[in-house]
Amino acid sequence: MAASGGSLARYIVTRLLLIIPMVFILTTIVFLLLRVAPGDPVSASLGGRLSEEALDQRRAALGLDRPMLVQYLEYLREVVTFQFGETITDNRSVIDIVKDNGGATLTLSVAAFAVALVIGLPLGLIAGRFRDTVPDLVIRIFGIITYAAPVFYWGLLFQLLFVLQLDWFPVGGSASPETIFLVEDKTHILLIDAIIAGNSEAVVDVLHHLVLPAVTLGLLLSGIFIRLVRVNMLQTLQGDYIEAARARGIKESRVMRSHAFRNALVPVITIIGLQIALLMSGAILTEATFNWPGIGNELVQYINLRDYAAVQGIITMFAVVVVLVSILIDIVNALVDPRVRY
Amino acid sequence: MARRFRSFGAGLFAPFRRTTGFGRWILAAGLVLVAAFVLVAIFAPLIAPYDFNQIRANGERFPKAAPPGGDFLLGTTSFGSYDVFSRVVWGSRTALEVVAIAVLLSLVIGVPLGVVSGFLGGWFDRVTVLLMDALYAFPSLLLAIVFSFLLSDLFGGGVTAAGVALIVIYVPQYFRVVRNTTVSAKESTYVEAARAIGAPKRTIMGKYVFGNVIQSVPVIGTLNAADAIGTLAALGFLGLGIQPNEAAEWGYDLNRALPDASAGIWWTGVFPGLAIVLLITGVTLVGEGLNETINPTLRRRKLRPFTLPPRGVATMEHGKGQVDL
Amino acid sequence: MNRRRGLLALVSSGVMVASLAACGGGDDGDGGPSGEDNGSSELGAPWILGTTDKVTTLDPAGAYDLGSWTLMYNMYQTLLTIPAGDNEPQGDAAESCEYEDPKTFTCTLKEGLTFANGNELTSSDVAFSLTRNIEIADPNGASGLLSSITAEEGGAVTDGAIETPDDQTITFHLNRPDTIFQFILTTNATAIVDEETFPADALVENAEAVGSGPFSMDQYEDGQQAVLTANPEYDGPKEPQSERVFVQYFQQPAQLKQAVQTGDIDVAWRSLSPTDINDLKDSDSVSVLEGEGSEIRYWVWQLGTQVGKQKAVRQAAAELIDREAIAENAYAGTVDPLKSIVPPGFPGQIAAFEEKYGANNADEAKKLLDDAGINTPVDITLGYTPSHYGPNAVDEANEFARQLEDGGVFNVKIESAEWTQYQNLYKENAYDLFQLGWFPDYLDADNYLAPFFVDGGFYQNNYSNEKVNELVAAEQASSDPAERQRIFKELQTIVAEDVPLIPSWVGKNVAIAGPGMEGVQATLDPAFIFRFWEVSKAE
Repeated sequence: MAASGGSLARYIVTRLLLIIPMVFILTTIVFLLLRVAPGDPVSASLGGRLSEEALDQRRAALGLDRPMLVQYLEYLREVVTFQFGETITDNRSVIDIVKDNGGATLTLSVAAFAVALVIGLPLGLIAGRFRDTVPDLVIRIFGIITYAAPVFYWGLLFQLLFVLQLDWFPVGGSASPETIFLVEDKTHILLIDAIIAGNSEAVVDVLHHLVLPAVTLGLLLSGIFIRLVRVNMLQTLQGDYIEAARARGIKESRVMRSHAFRNALVPVITIIGLQIALLMSGAILTEATFNWPGIGNELVQYINLRDYAAVQGIITMFAVVVVLVSILIDIVNALVDPRVRY
Repeated sequence: MARRFRSFGAGLFAPFRRTTGFGRWILAAGLVLVAAFVLVAIFAPLIAPYDFNQIRANGERFPKAAPPGGDFLLGTTSFGSYDVFSRVVWGSRTALEVVAIAVLLSLVIGVPLGVVSGFLGGWFDRVTVLLMDALYAFPSLLLAIVFSFLLSDLFGGGVTAAGVALIVIYVPQYFRVVRNTTVSAKESTYVEAARAIGAPKRTIMGKYVFGNVIQSVPVIGTLNAADAIGTLAALGFLGLGIQPNEAAEWGYDLNRALPDASAGIWWTGVFPGLAIVLLITGVTLVGEGLNETINPTLRRRKLRPFTLPPRGVATMEHGKGQVDL
Repeated sequence: MNRRRGLLALVSSGVMVASLAACGGGDDGDGGPSGEDNGSSELGAPWILGTTDKVTTLDPAGAYDLGSWTLMYNMYQTLLTIPAGDNEPQGDAAESCEYEDPKTFTCTLKEGLTFANGNELTSSDVAFSLTRNIEIADPNGASGLLSSITAEEGGAVTDGAIETPDDQTITFHLNRPDTIFQFILTTNATAIVDEETFPADALVENAEAVGSGPFSMDQYEDGQQAVLTANPEYDGPKEPQSERVFVQYFQQPAQLKQAVQTGDIDVAWRSLSPTDINDLKDSDSVSVLEGEGSEIRYWVWQLGTQVGKQKAVRQAAAELIDREAIAENAYAGTVDPLKSIVPPGFPGQIAAFEEKYGANNADEAKKLLDDAGINTPVDITLGYTPSHYGPNAVDEANEFARQLEDGGVFNVKIESAEWTQYQNLYKENAYDLFQLGWFPDYLDADNYLAPFFVDGGFYQNNYSNEKVNELVAAEQASSDPAERQRIFKELQTIVAEDVPLIPSWVGKNVAIAGPGMEGVQATLDPAFIFRFWEVSKAE
């Protein structure tokens, strides 16, 4: 099973080449769906406000009066050059949206991931270790319920309890207006900007705003993590080397710590990395619930405005990111884990 | 081999009997929850005191945002003054209808496609796998949003549109699992044997491979069903789903209940939300339970567990079964 | 005199640059809170406005929505303006304006006006602002309002329509007699921009946008927040009460409500749900302020359908509508019944529909149909669009359908379509009766009549009445207020008789103010200009 260097390289190249057809298929699907739909993007977002002539003018300006194939090729060209078009309702380029709002989405995602790891890993390990006991059952049910409750339902309950009743946290947003105004925008990531500025009040303010959204999204992910970690733990415990270690009379706690936990976690880490698609779906709803100024929140706004061009651009961008990340993880996985067959 | 067929078709209790310990109780609890919702959905006209869009009885208009109790078990809504209990009950019908459409249709499309693709191999297989992997990589909510955009214009919204929007998300899941199982089954000794005695391709595909492959389907089905309920609710929550005069839908009601919650009108949001949570929990419990029975892995034997291949993986391996049976 | 002013302006603009620099120092964390070190001591504490409106751009040539216009009204000057609670345009950048005849309008600018960047504001800037708006013709912009000086083929100003004999004087030669033009000059379609900063053929970057209004934009984060600071260059009557105003943008009305309730923001304006407003009325910590509004909803009859072309059917429905019940059941009493297409508060308004039909009169409806020999019940299709007009639109459609059915003479089928499709469908006779909304471009009764009833109106419902066309043309050509009001009344009476549409409700201008806020009530009028300069917060 030992892989020669040649086949590893070949594997990586194949994976990288795969990006091309994947992105091609995804973009084609999005394009077809949004363009085949009756009614064009211009009348969707601007109709009723403009005369027919003005709408035609706008269609011409956006090139929507050209044959579908020409538009499609143009769109592919844009995607290849990492341009995802412009919104119709406010003439923003999707790249600008990513620049302006990507930082907030990234902050939320990382924080939620951290929350999910802190909750999910220990609970998953415990559940697996003490299989078929009361703690196992409780943890499994907790995992199922966190996954079952929609993010916006959690958000609603949290807001009622922690914002309106207890007044522990702010309603939404990434920071108070004063903080956003005072902290100079250098990296597009508010938390890092606040740290660079050495403004401790601002840092606290940003973290204060981050808690509820991160916990809400983190809980959703933790449900998945618990499940994955538990199953891996079960498998590991059935491994020969655990039996062997036990047979050699090594103390049970030591067996767990130095053999079981470690071996259970290695595959989990890569699997968890692949939750990016779920993370994105969850992030969209969390951002909308907490007025978090991320890309998902923008997407929801453009959905409400029925700005098809914006929706198309943002979704294509999401799709490309997901494909790139998952292929990247595949490759990393192959490099790290010799068990992957290629 | 014969036993495999029997275990699939030998009645509902077979998997239940095969479980032990908490697995059994998880399955039981899930089945009870789901059965309860199914019954409520079927007998909605008998259980719900009012229609889902009814706002008055005996010539008298319902009060707006009336608290639970009295004539209205769970109170009334602040939009349109509907009976919350009735809408929750009718909502279970909507949810299950959409789920049934989505899961059945994706099964009907996904499973045969997977078997054919895995069995035939070659360029057809490669192209289908690529297409399915692309769809699979797509965040499911985004895909549902795109489709509901398209379908709401075509069908004018409604239950069918929502159901169809979900198919696209689930077909690739069945396809992947079934195709990979088919590929491994194809290499297995009993298919070799069948081939050796000159059984025609169609018989092999239909009888041996399909029968084997179909075992993993219930688990994916339940996981999909859980996901479908959540996605439908999310679409409703984003205002892309079903209108209140078309059908009762929990996500929509939850969206309209947002302003109520902070005004102390908790019942309009809590109950539809609870229904979503309970139904998804129930379906997930069934899935977990089934997983433990169908995959003996999770009992005390040394086999790989069944896990849904992680979302977002772009795989094109051949002959690598996701489910080892 | 002039030069002296210019010098002063230069000096003060220098001060501003210095203070901005100080503010920049504060950003790095080593300065004190910037609110103190550059604020003049006379001005009040900063306050935060929360809204769910969305901003398209800060360039007046690129936006025609309330979210953008709210910021623009505070950043830019226009030649004329509508003071709080008034109907008549008054001078803003202009000292005086007058009609020489219904086709010629001349304004004289105030002396010594400067932009926030120190550049002088002259008549040439005014001409530039209007010209570039017409030439850019941005689809999100409001260049359509300038049709009286736009060449017939579009995209350019009519030859010689704008004349600037000297730096202080500007004369408009209109394409047709148009006494509405003075109202157009109060809107942001005519906001005055700096010709040295704004490109003539493209929209300006938001960061570059500069005006001569009472506030200037300090920071603008799309979809998140805007920060406006009192403009030291501004020397007019709109004197800011606060050094700094924050505008925070929300996605959901529920979040906006919670934010004002918990004190995260000081004022919530547009748009809270009816439930929110009613709940906050019971709250001790905040006050719900209401002013007269100008946004309306109405149901249009499509005269192209077999049902809609029968006048008796249209009148019967007008007999059956119960506007109080719609306002109460679909909007929890947060809107007012609309009894004529022109909302109350506009000179010349009469409650024409109420006078003719009363309310909810089933016997009359039956009689009308019987007299016309129409078999009852009549099958009609009601149309609405689910998201464009907010979630309560469906509640209104359900409510109205019930009222029609309760009258016993209608069988109603309700249909809906997404906005894209809806606009085509109602023109293609898919519905007999369909719901639409209107937000006025300018505050004159004409804006509720001309777009609606001349040859089918903008919604193409096939209604045409020669008499109506004549009256509208006469009213637009007249500069005599009494004469115009007489015509408005006549028009409303004809509309109530012909029933090309059925008015439903008019919204209020509602704001929620936190403790210590003053001046909010004064700015809540049908113009929907949120005048930041009127508002202050007690420390």
